[in-house]
Amino acid sequence: MSYIQDFILNNHDLTDEKLNKVLSKAYSSKIDFADIYFEHTNVESWTIEDSIVKNGTSSIDGGVGIRSVIGDKSGLAYSNTFSYSDLAEAANMARSIIKSGENKTAKIGKPIKFKKLYDTSSPIGLTDDKDKVNFLKDIDQYIRQKEPMVEQVIVTLAASHSSILILNTDGINAFDERPLVRFSVMVVLKKGKRRERGSSGGGGRFAYKEIIDTKFGYKFADEALRQATVNLEALDSKAGTMTVVLGSGWPGILLHEAIGHGLEGDFNRKKTSAFSGLIGKKVASSQCTIVDDGTISKRRGSLSIDDEGCETQNTMLIEKGILRGYMQDKLNAQLMKTKSTGNGRRESYAYLPIPRMTNTFMLPGQYHNNEIIESVKQGIYAVNFSGGQVDITNGQFVFTASEAYMIRDGRISSPIKGVTLIGNGPEVLKKVSMVGNDLKLDDGVGTCGKDGQNVPVGVGQPTLKIDEITVGGTRV
Amino acid sequence: MSQLVTTQSIKQTLLKIITNLNKKHDYQFNVTTSNGFSINCRFKEVENIEYHNDTGMVVTVFNDYKKGIASTNDLSSASIEKTIAKAENISKNTQPDEYQGLPESNFTLSTSKNLGIFYPKDLKTDDMASIAKTCEEEAFNFDKRIVNSEGATFSAANNEHMILNTKEAFGSFKSTDYSLSCITLAEENKLMERDYWYSSARDYNKLETAKQIGIKAAKRTISRLGAKTISTRSCPVIFSPEMASSLIGSFLSAISGPAIYKKSSFLLEKLNQRIFPEFINIKEKPHLADGSGTKPYDCDGVLTIEKDIIQNGTLNTYLLDTYSSRKLNMKCTGNGVITNITMEPDLPCPSNLIETLEDGILITEMMGSGANILTGDYSRGAFGYLIKNGKIEHPVTEITVASNLLKMFENIKSIGNDFDLRNNIRTGSILIDNITIGGTT
Repeated sequence: MSYIQDFILNNHDLTDEKLNKVLSKAYSSKIDFADIYFEHTNVESWTIEDSIVKNGTSSIDGGVGIRSVIGDKSGLAYSNTFSYSDLAEAANMARSIIKSGENKTAKIGKPIKFKKLYDTSSPIGLTDDKDKVNFLKDIDQYIRQKEPMVEQVIVTLAASHSSILILNTDGINAFDERPLVRFSVMVVLKKGKRRERGSSGGGGRFAYKEIIDTKFGYKFADEALRQATVNLEALDSKAGTMTVVLGSGWPGILLHEAIGHGLEGDFNRKKTSAFSGLIGKKVASSQCTIVDDGTISKRRGSLSIDDEGCETQNTMLIEKGILRGYMQDKLNAQLMKTKSTGNGRRESYAYLPIPRMTNTFMLPGQYHNNEIIESVKQGIYAVNFSGGQVDITNGQFVFTASEAYMIRDGRISSPIKGVTLIGNGPEVLKKVSMVGNDLKLDDGVGTCGKDGQNVPVGVGQPTLKIDEITVGGTRV
Repeated sequence: MSQLVTTQSIKQTLLKIITNLNKKHDYQFNVTTSNGFSINCRFKEVENIEYHNDTGMVVTVFNDYKKGIASTNDLSSASIEKTIAKAENISKNTQPDEYQGLPESNFTLSTSKNLGIFYPKDLKTDDMASIAKTCEEEAFNFDKRIVNSEGATFSAANNEHMILNTKEAFGSFKSTDYSLSCITLAEENKLMERDYWYSSARDYNKLETAKQIGIKAAKRTISRLGAKTISTRSCPVIFSPEMASSLIGSFLSAISGPAIYKKSSFLLEKLNQRIFPEFINIKEKPHLADGSGTKPYDCDGVLTIEKDIIQNGTLNTYLLDTYSSRKLNMKCTGNGVITNITMEPDLPCPSNLIETLEDGILITEMMGSGANILTGDYSRGAFGYLIKNGKIEHPVTEITVASNLLKMFENIKSIGNDFDLRNNIRTGSILIDNITIGGTT
């Protein structure tokens, strides 16, 4: 069972019997469940800047987190070292969340089998370091030769590989290995006195060769150049309420911020979400069907099993405008008398698992992209975004465009800059009047932050039209 | 738990390992350790206890101007040796860059230097739980409209940092961090709002009381109820101290060495030019007692120094680390970190900026990533309050704030005296003219 078995369990003589003892220490008659989470993560990254591959980094993070859960209470302790006594002490600390309770013995189960959504080998060792470095040089050269206005090119190739072992008092014994590769290109162009940036990238749970040996690298380089060129001509945008058409793919950030977070189990169990108690109610126009699907092969947001050992699934969140379900981890599912949807995720062994999204997207509708643009007399077409944020309690969300255009009389016209969209989660999807037939998932670069924990996620959507949303800009 | 690593023991281990390393290469070791706990109480009960215990070492090797970095959280000799080998391996594949290398200046510091940021205290989780409970309770008792909460959280951490390189530089220092925070939800007419307050300090005894924090959180949350949308306008805006420090943060990013040498800053070629009004001075004070940014040396081991960044509105210096200073052929300013930044205006600071404003907006929260350091374009979502005749009229929601950072800095009218000492960027509220507020009508 690779690194965890060979170097952590075997090296520290952590036999099943000893692991049973540790798990039992975290457990008691008052504890609902306890789990042990072993992790060993390897990360590397290579960057070219000023045409020199000047930075290469490699890091290893390993540890074991032990958690005891009773009702809505959790105790967590972790250790970077793996001796039996370190684990036993961590288990005692985790269990201190509840003072009383008789000892209870727990026994780890047999390893569970599940469908693997990705090749589990580590991308880091599969490709020679020289090939990674040469690839960065090639992309840098390609961009500089193609575009004389280039002032700066920064290209990064990075990968991680995590081995995790989850043992819990319900008999879960799950081992997974998770590869993740990420490629990103940033260019700065200068025209006269003006400088503008364009960036692009992609990745997923696969080997480097899926980027290096394909045309993907060049595709992303072209895309970064294209965006920077567009931005060199971008005009100031006007502030106010407008019709906005969002492009397919990455603009799906809208769904992630506007409704995704609001549908995470913890906020709804605590009734702190603007979506609390709205199951069965209409929260979007009937053209909107939205899912969270962690089961898509090789995607950045996908996981074969979540961090509590539950298989991920395709969860219906909103069906034809009606709110159908929340995303759950074990703790919140138990308290809301439902089942985990395989959305229990943690950044690492040092954090508590909480409900998180995987790949969140809207299913396609009936309209052609052109039809949607042509239907707008005056508005904005926003196709790329740099990020977003939401206040899940009042539902207010924001996301910031990095590439947007004016629409005039049904035609895309001049590019505009500094466009921020702000709206209210439970309201905005009711204003979606047209959904395109061109569903696209993002290229695999998204990272979501919640409670100080970052996890990789995916988003997607078809082109869609929002009749009215507030747009920020400098012109009144 | 993990063996408590002391800088003394790790220093000895490293000194031993160093004697066997390739003498042609240069090495740098950065070690951090941090341990502590955080305890969250919600509805008078402990909801989460988390015990933290983190260690880490970053090894940097310079191999004929080629750099390799590797890190590990296992500080055993065997693991350190493996990590060094990894860094060396990486340096075989990176390309030479003449500006890479250890800093020139050597220094030796030790824990004996009193920075006033280390106040260890033996705290019992039970006691801290009851403080967190009191904090939340005070918030609930303050107003009936406080109907829900994310609880109150107390956290404590003991940190130690050490740096050592093969040019015989060595430094280490200890610090502590304590914080107490409370997040509350208020409801009126079926609409909910959330807000929070927190106190943080190096010294446990300097935290605000649980009661003060609970009441402030409640007040802030209640004040958001009944928020209205407003029409699009251009008007003066007061940025609360928390928001003001994020604006100054954007300024600091734009004058950082990497932003300058990558030509990715709207403040390129602005050295020795006026970018703020004449009454503005911004200083860096790395050694402030109790400072949340206090550090004796930067990440390359260069001693941090006090400096005037903005003097009478003029940009005096970029913030340069070792690499960017060599690349730009300028003097290193010890800014491999940014320590404590203080806003020191020459004009008197009104105690309440709101009273000085006839018609405008107070911004207390901004959302989204709309600060473009390359162009200075600024466009973010916001929450705030409409101000009429020196008084808050009502909260406003779903608005956007847009301008250009350069224009915003030029248009600063005054600084309030409500300095936020929790932040490493210490500024009061900032009043800026002519900001575009996007609204719904």
